[in-house]
Amino acid sequence: MAKWGMVIDLDKCTGCQACTTACAMENNRLPGENWQDVLFYHEGTYPNVKLMWFPRPCMHCENPSCVSVCPTKATYKDPDGGFVLMDYNKCIGCKYCQVACPYGVRFYVDEKAVVQPDIRGVFPSETGRQWDPPYKGPQDDPSRGIGIQPHGVVSKCTFCYHKVSKAPKGVADLDEDIPELKEYVPACVRVCAPKARFFGDLDQPNSNVNKMIADKRGVRLKDETGNKPQVYYLSGGATASVPSLRSMSDSDKG
Amino acid sequence: MTSVTVSNKEISGKQLGIMLLALIGLLIAGGMAVNNLLVEGHAAYNTDNLGLFWGFPIVIYDYFLLTSTGLAMVASMALIFGGEEYRPIIRRALWLALAGLLGGVAVLMMELGHPLRALWAIPFSFAFSSPLYWKVMAVSFYVISLLILQVRMLKADWRMQDLRINAMVTLVLALGVTAIAGVVYGSQSFRPFWASGDIPVAFIFESLLGGLAFVFFFTYLAYAFNPAAVPESVKRLFNDRLANLLALAIFIHLLFVLARMSSGLYGNAEGLQVWQTLATSPLFFAEIIIGLLLPLVLLMYPGTRTSPWAQILASLLVMNALLISRYEYIIGGQLVPLFKGSWAPELLSYAPSPTEWLLLLVAIFLSNAVNAFGEVTLRLGREG
Ligand code: SF4
Ligand code: SF4
Repeated sequence: MAKWGMVIDLDKCTGCQACTTACAMENNRLPGENWQDVLFYHEGTYPNVKLMWFPRPCMHCENPSCVSVCPTKATYKDPDGGFVLMDYNKCIGCKYCQVACPYGVRFYVDEKAVVQPDIRGVFPSETGRQWDPPYKGPQDDPSRGIGIQPHGVVSKCTFCYHKVSKAPKGVADLDEDIPELKEYVPACVRVCAPKARFFGDLDQPNSNVNKMIADKRGVRLKDETGNKPQVYYLSGGATASVPSLRSMSDSDKG
Repeated sequence: MTSVTVSNKEISGKQLGIMLLALIGLLIAGGMAVNNLLVEGHAAYNTDNLGLFWGFPIVIYDYFLLTSTGLAMVASMALIFGGEEYRPIIRRALWLALAGLLGGVAVLMMELGHPLRALWAIPFSFAFSSPLYWKVMAVSFYVISLLILQVRMLKADWRMQDLRINAMVTLVLALGVTAIAGVVYGSQSFRPFWASGDIPVAFIFESLLGGLAFVFFFTYLAYAFNPAAVPESVKRLFNDRLANLLALAIFIHLLFVLARMSSGLYGNAEGLQVWQTLATSPLFFAEIIIGLLLPLVLLMYPGTRTSPWAQILASLLVMNALLISRYEYIIGGQLVPLFKGSWAPELLSYAPSPTEWLLLLVAIFLSNAVNAFGEVTLRLGREG
């Protein structure tokens, strides 16, 4: 069984937001409610300002706090692939998972629209979904949080389950440059122009993602939380690596 | 004897009046809130996706829930460890525990995305890793044990020793619900404003304080705030043991709040900066000075300690301080947005929306209606 993971090379990311846009299109996200986002930060005051950016999807944690706090098991870890998914039919909208996710990547969108005017009023849904956009992705699987978000539930990035889960068994990396694999590549990875994003099986020692994590000392965001993200960031191989503060999990031990 | 009977009738009449007023209030506030929710959905609330996920409705729910468990703790401890002198407050506290819980749960139902689904999805999920799962299960058993106790006390000649086992179960469940409610927040290690191993204990003391304050206030309310109508047995209890206990509970709660504030102000972890804002806010000062210190003085100072009006005022102030305290804790833990970039402010700002305020009224009116119904039909104040 695969354990899919993503590697994001911060030295290559230009902050162009193509990934954010592709994700929004692929998953019919409401404007501003971005499962995948590039966050911009600034330091200092004008004219000495430094602008930085940081691409941030759901980390599909190995040990996800969102899953452990959910009182209905509506959010769950798929053992086949390691996706953290949502079952819209079980979610009660208590928002505990939002509170418990250290990365701020879960979305309850019944509140006031982030971007005005509220597009939901322009394309209202008759079927209990948030909206009915003119273009809809063909995939709809509420038990995996795929398709347009219904009312009263939390949603999150699926690692493009609807694509990745159809990839040929045993493949180590899903690379958009390999023609026969490109349809299985997550939308954000596929569109990344400077090729800052990579997607592959963390359980295969020879996968490209594993090699990059080893060679460039990939780090996981907020590793001290114990969530063990399956998304790794690279920021140059010359620096010392950031050690994990956690003991090894069974999967680490092999 | 005759005068007491007359006064009981009068009191019953006043309780009927309270019930009617509360029902009218409930209809108006509930109607407006439901209307707003039907028109706007959850956009009627001021919560958001930037980081403020749990707003005032959750504050109200937890406040009423923990007040309920506090009342149950007071009543069951009185049944287990107390003597006959506690008898006059036990039934009332237990009924009030049910009434308060109902008010809180009603608000929770209006906050959840899918309240009806919650009724089956939680119990049948067997989500053992979730504190909320255990909280809901514990609350369900807690309600059953409260009802059993209440039913067993319907007979005028109930004896305290016959109810001890029941009371122990209720006490354990009330402690369990309160402690788990603490774990819901205390376990969020990446939110240092919330996270602490002692939060469940702090919640237990806070609940106890709420329970005691509510016993004072609602007992006086049961006698229409007419001190002359309050039976001697109740006065004796209030002026002696319960006044001491209330003062002690205020003191312990104050210690918890001030200890958390000091660690928060000196701490450096991301999230603790909320204390810098909080500790200088007028609301915090009102909570500490007017809501906790003033009642403490009123209950310690010999000149006011036995005055019914001072006791009513002290309990009312404590009830408000606890609501503020719950608000500050729940909201404060979410004010630092996580990974939202420069577009988000350093500290989120939040104030309850009009609909969220209406939910507070819903909880107050509903609990008061149920409580007054109990006062009228169950004669909660009878000594037997
Ligand atoms: S990043 Fe958040 S939402 Fe995603 S798996 Fe981890 S805890 Fe869950
Ligand atoms: S909002 Fe839904 S997915 Fe999140 S914890 Fe509650 S029930 Fe689970």
